[in-house]
Amino acid sequence: MVALRDYPNHVEPPDPVPDRRLTGVHWWDPDRIRHLADLPRHCPSCGASVTGDGGISVEYWEADHRVYHTWCRACGWTGDIIRVHRMVGHEPDEPSPF
Amino acid sequence: MLSKEQNEALTRVGPGTPMGELLRRYWYPVAFVRELDEWPIKKVRLLGEDFALWKTPQGGYGIMQERCPHRHASMVYGVIEEGGLRCGYHGWLFDCEGACVDQPAEPEKSTFKDNVRAQAGKAQELGGMVWAYIGPDPAPELPRFDVYVDDGFKDVGHSMLPCNWLQIMENSVDPHHVEWLHGRYFQFIGEQKGFLAPPSFQKKHVKVGFDPMEWGILKRRVLEGQTEEDDDWAVGHPLVFPYCMRVGGAGIDQMQIRVPIDDTHTWALFYANHHPEGIDEYPDQIYPTDYEYQWIDDQGNFIVDYIEGQDVMAWVTQGDITDRTAEHIGKSDIGVVMLRRMFREQMALVAEGKDPTVGFTREPHERIELPCEKNKFGAGVDFALAWLEMGSSRYSPALDTLKKLHIQAAAARGELPGQHNVDTPGQ
Repeated sequence: MVALRDYPNHVEPPDPVPDRRLTGVHWWDPDRIRHLADLPRHCPSCGASVTGDGGISVEYWEADHRVYHTWCRACGWTGDIIRVHRMVGHEPDEPSPF
Repeated sequence: MLSKEQNEALTRVGPGTPMGELLRRYWYPVAFVRELDEWPIKKVRLLGEDFALWKTPQGGYGIMQERCPHRHASMVYGVIEEGGLRCGYHGWLFDCEGACVDQPAEPEKSTFKDNVRAQAGKAQELGGMVWAYIGPDPAPELPRFDVYVDDGFKDVGHSMLPCNWLQIMENSVDPHHVEWLHGRYFQFIGEQKGFLAPPSFQKKHVKVGFDPMEWGILKRRVLEGQTEEDDDWAVGHPLVFPYCMRVGGAGIDQMQIRVPIDDTHTWALFYANHHPEGIDEYPDQIYPTDYEYQWIDDQGNFIVDYIEGQDVMAWVTQGDITDRTAEHIGKSDIGVVMLRRMFREQMALVAEGKDPTVGFTREPHERIELPCEKNKFGAGVDFALAWLEMGSSRYSPALDTLKKLHIQAAAARGELPGQHNVDTPGQ
């Protein structure tokens, strides 16, 4: 990262507009906290952290499954991580979505 | 859903932030050439910092921090000289590289000025706009995309929007919004107000696809009644990383430009080049036509009876920085997921001292052609007329000129208005 000292006499940006949606207490917090609790923290390939600047993990839904699309900065692994609550066998005429 | 930390990392654009450092590797339009011909200094805000932009007596452009390093008076109220920009307060003179070359009140033999340097960027002209680069040296090439350099009649609508630029960019990899925001919702507004909304926007998406490419992400779609042979899938159109989207059809090429002014403001421009087949001479223009499009009415309500007004409503009502810790995205949002990953990958490259690999070039060039559907929505004169009347061009002072241009071109092609199905521009 380029340090601030690399910008002599730089102009500090103003404080962001206060946005309580980023910081406040809300009725939807239990849902938000539950989802954040499942967020992958480590790469399934190399074990490096994928939080902070170590990568990214984005949750999206596919039917009943919550999928975490994850990229690891350390080893470049990219893939989807899915939390499984119950092992379900597929019916013969129903192809797996995965 | 993203963690709060990742949301912050992806949306903060100031100096020293990971995204701010990535975005400082690109050039941005900051003014129209017309503006600086009318008054040669302009205050510019870009990526959370304030600058003075000026036109030099030699015909070039300079950009430096707004506040004079001496006692912080605004250089926007400075004096333009051959040697650079001189502060109006005590006369300190800065050249285009930011070097302090004169301090008239200091002793003649003082070396004080050699110890003072202003933050200076680079600025140049392209397509009737002045572009600025405020990142570290060496600056990359300013990409000369087809829209900016091709012959044609140029028309640019613009407005300052009170939201973070990323939520606008995420809209560019969200094809499904078209059939709802510009389809069903437009139909509903039409029913309330008594006009016919364009039916083609109501077509359902059968399939969407996203391919990473040199300049960003190529977006493809198959709509009801289409196949993968149609241009919408076979060609598609790109999100141009990190802050644009290219669309077009029927002799209209458009770049949608979203300049991150700061964390909570975006200068959103629709830069269109009109060059319909059938004619090769266009009405004279000294500059591109530029104008503000309206997106909010006197009562503070969003103006939603045209395409871009609907987009602005969706972007701005998400909040100044949308809270991605509380969102619920699905399989239809995978383009958004892909874009976030691309940003994160590019941020990591820059943090490691490398150049970005997407939307970035150091190769000198004359013109860059971007892939974009040509036969979109029938591609006839009706499409062009609908684009003009149901898009932000309806606010253009050149609207009648543009209509005439497309009708004359259609006549030269032997095509009559009404021959095609009426459709409107895609997103």
